[in-house]
Amino acid sequence: MGAAESHIWLEPILAGLVGYVLADLGSGVYHWGIDNYGSAETPVFGPQIEAFQGHHKWPWTITRRQFANNLHALARTVTFFVLPIDLACHDSVLLGFVGVCSGCIMFSQQFHAWAHGTKSKLPPIVVALQDAGILVSRPQHAAHHRQPYNNNYCIVSGVWNEFLDTQNVFGALEMILLFKLGVRPRSWDEPNSDWTEETETSSQVALP
Amino acid sequence: MASVSLPKLTLHSLFPTQSPKTPLCLNNSILHKLPQSQFHGLKLSRSSSTSIPSSSSVKTSIFAKVTQGTVPPAFTLKDQDGKNVSLSKFKGKPVVVYFYPADETPGCTKQACAFRDSYEKFKKAGAEVVGISGDDSSSHKAFSKKYKLPFTLLSDEGNKVRKDWGVPSDLFGTLPGRQTYVLDKNGKVQLIYNNQFQPEKHIDETLKLLQSL
Repeated sequence: MGAAESHIWLEPILAGLVGYVLADLGSGVYHWGIDNYGSAETPVFGPQIEAFQGHHKWPWTITRRQFANNLHALARTVTFFVLPIDLACHDSVLLGFVGVCSGCIMFSQQFHAWAHGTKSKLPPIVVALQDAGILVSRPQHAAHHRQPYNNNYCIVSGVWNEFLDTQNVFGALEMILLFKLGVRPRSWDEPNSDWTEETETSSQVALP
Repeated sequence: MASVSLPKLTLHSLFPTQSPKTPLCLNNSILHKLPQSQFHGLKLSRSSSTSIPSSSSVKTSIFAKVTQGTVPPAFTLKDQDGKNVSLSKFKGKPVVVYFYPADETPGCTKQACAFRDSYEKFKKAGAEVVGISGDDSSSHKAFSKKYKLPFTLLSDEGNKVRKDWGVPSDLFGTLPGRQTYVLDKNGKVQLIYNNQFQPEKHIDETLKLLQSL
């Protein structure tokens, strides 16, 4: 491949890489917001907030959902934003960025579901990608489901988690929101039934 | 005071932020730029304000900020039981005055509990510990009770004392700063320690100094 030809691919690929990295950050910020603020009654986000709270109570149920179930809601949102961009723009670098970023966001719930899986039940390629740090790993995400429930919010690759947690970025944002809007995040209060995982034993026995 | 108002107007048009540190250093540089003939009145007032830092005229001017070696402005605030407590009450022994953002927040809880856990060491050094935030007495009472804090918490409603002492804010003014002052038994500041996101360090730093006083 000549220098001129490889150049055509390099920039969109790099843009895609940036999109992949930023999707992880975006997933963390969004997840932090939904986990900590609002309620089932919040307009637009209410059902999602309720779903995330339910997930904290019964985390294992996510592993029992079908592939399409993990994708459809995010796919709807992604289509809404990406389709106009796809129709209006022809710049390969921008499309590379948007494509990979939105693709990672669309798959984030599936990546999240895989992070709840057990090694023996996951496809080997998924385990390999998790171990390589390309997809969010099982132990990293498990930390999010333990007290104090205020870390490891990113669920695409988890590459931002260490930085965000050691720099206490969400802690600082939470303080700013407290002083500006008077709202307290859920993660500050003593773990109550909203967060505490229900034990699996009784519901597992009930399944066929 | 005509001599003070001129630089103040220039500052406000150029620098909208309210950090108490900027007025002092920028004011000096702006004064330097003025031609000598217009300088006399300004020069006189500037030299008088900087030569006697603890005089009452400076405390009420925009340069008022507690620095090491100075005696901070007096205050009387309500404690967690609603009783008035004055800074002068602590004269004769060292006192650690720590300003914190708010009760029942993760950092402030860590800090209060750290002071509580090391309280015996502070007492051994003969020092008293006082926490100040903008929360009201009932908030302090609940906070103090929940974490069994053995020291006084004062209500700086409206953050007046925080402003008087020049405690800087964090994150572009959105967050009240976390700053601790150690006053010796004569009421003079011997240490100012600022750290918003590592609250437990305030205990180590203040104890280190107290043990050397």
